[in-house]
Amino acid sequence: MKKHRSTMAVLALLVMFAVNLVLPAQVVNAADDKQLIFDNAHLLSQEEYRELNAMANEYGAKRETDIMILTSTNPEGADVQKMTENFYDEQAPGYDKPHGNAVILTLDMYHRETYLAGFYKGEQYLDDGRLNKIRNKITPDLSNGDYKLAFEQYIKTTYKYMGFKPGVNPDNIMFNIWFQLGGAAVIGVIVVGIMAYRSGGRVTVNGWTYEDTSTSGILDHQDRYIRTTTTRRKIEKNTSSGSGGGGTTSGGHSHSGSRGSF
Amino acid sequence: MPVIEYKCQSCGSGMVFDSETETLSCPSCGRKDNIEQIPDPLKQQVFSEDEAREYHCTSCGAVIMTDPETSATTCSFCGSAVILSDRLTGSLAPAMVIPFSVSKEEAMKAFKKWCRNGLLTPSGFMTADRIKGMTGIYVPFWLYDLNNQVEVHAHATKVRIYTSGDYEYTETQHFDVYRKIRLNYVKVPIDASEKMNDALMDKLEPFPYEHLKEFKTPYLAGYIAEKYSFDDKALFPRVKDKIREYIDSYIASTVSGYTSVSYTDKQIDTTPKQAKYCLFPVWMINYDFHKSDYTFAMNGQTGKVVGKPPISKAKVAAWFAGVFGVSLLSLKLISWMMGGGFL
Repeated sequence: MKKHRSTMAVLALLVMFAVNLVLPAQVVNAADDKQLIFDNAHLLSQEEYRELNAMANEYGAKRETDIMILTSTNPEGADVQKMTENFYDEQAPGYDKPHGNAVILTLDMYHRETYLAGFYKGEQYLDDGRLNKIRNKITPDLSNGDYKLAFEQYIKTTYKYMGFKPGVNPDNIMFNIWFQLGGAAVIGVIVVGIMAYRSGGRVTVNGWTYEDTSTSGILDHQDRYIRTTTTRRKIEKNTSSGSGGGGTTSGGHSHSGSRGSF
Repeated sequence: MPVIEYKCQSCGSGMVFDSETETLSCPSCGRKDNIEQIPDPLKQQVFSEDEAREYHCTSCGAVIMTDPETSATTCSFCGSAVILSDRLTGSLAPAMVIPFSVSKEEAMKAFKKWCRNGLLTPSGFMTADRIKGMTGIYVPFWLYDLNNQVEVHAHATKVRIYTSGDYEYTETQHFDVYRKIRLNYVKVPIDASEKMNDALMDKLEPFPYEHLKEFKTPYLAGYIAEKYSFDDKALFPRVKDKIREYIDSYIASTVSGYTSVSYTDKQIDTTPKQAKYCLFPVWMINYDFHKSDYTFAMNGQTGKVVGKPPISKAKVAAWFAGVFGVSLLSLKLISWMMGGGFL
């Protein structure tokens, strides 16, 4: 009975561990939220705005970075990257200090373009490649007009990607919790399966055991070359869709970036 | 008289085969006779086949109750070791025997040790205190000497991949492969008893052939012996099947250095050179656990134990949880070292 209990305890611990990994604790503390969403194009309802702003505050705090969203109808037809840079220079956002760590998603509703920029810690952890990945994830929702869904995805993915060291591929399957759980389960099943299979004894003889080596052997052999066939394939170049990329604001703040339309 | 019993020439008690000294020994006075020097009474007798024969114990006169396959047993009334010699003569005469070298006590000890090593068996089973019976049986086997002529044709390829400029080239060289092989196997054992589970008997191998002895009846004294239920011709398909995988792996070992091999034609011609009838020593162990019976077999020479023990669900769960936890932790560590977050 004691053994059962300890087994159950281990299992319970593992389940708790797994649940913890999948659902980060959601504590909403609306009181001291700062404004991270500047919905100048009015794409969100009041309710949606409050929810997303709280979410951006919560996730951003864990990464010590302001995760921001800027939408604009852009009547002047300004460039979306320029718009983002000016916003950063003027608003001086930053989790740690003015002009500090920040990630900004800008929606230009006039040209229907998006721009993602990472500043300081945001630039270090979210290089052009990672920003491209985030942009590609949210673009379908933006095109469909599911702005709230796209923004949620943006906040969560930004939070997730900033958890990986700079330079590694955040979408590597090794980092996927389901892959890790599945892999561990498969190893467990295989090991226990082999143990159960071998519990009844196994065959320990093979052809060598009964072979009469003195009279056995190859009498005749032939390896005749017939022909050679060759196929070729064009090597796919890593077309870096670094459409836009990073830059430096007029205020002298360098940033990473990713640009695209939706 | 078809019943043979060995009486001690010193004290008159029934003698049995002693696995330790490999002699016919008397449990009462300790006399030991060298088996090689005892004239085998089988050699001098000729019997007429008679199915309805009754066997009477030469010591007490009681009727010996046996299965039709049994050729040696003990009298159920007085316990004398008796050998039913008409079931060991003519076409039923074994050519060779491997005598027991593991005694009953040693077998019991080895079995208990084996039970303790079971990682998934219930702890109640591991104490091995419910052994219902332990029987030393000489199991009939056919030992086949087989000659094989093998001819194979195969299509093999060697693949080389290289890049040049903007292109990746896959160069495949095709070969026509031919092999002619002579492959001889000696003393491939196939159990010839209907009662014995074939898979169980296969796992008992290897039997140490250096202990093969010319058959003499005193080796059976004190043990149960069975006669074969199937003759060598009836079991020929089984032995062919058994060596088939040996032959396949031999062929594969001769065709090496290729990326892929597909056999277009495989001709295996197996001719049986001879088949010898032999008796091999096996301890059969009956075990009663939670009202179900488990049967185990032990090689009477090497002590190897085979048979499916019960599996404890709790232990399986515990092992799975342990392996799962360790694997998950390792995967987490790997992903952490690769630069991912630990949680």
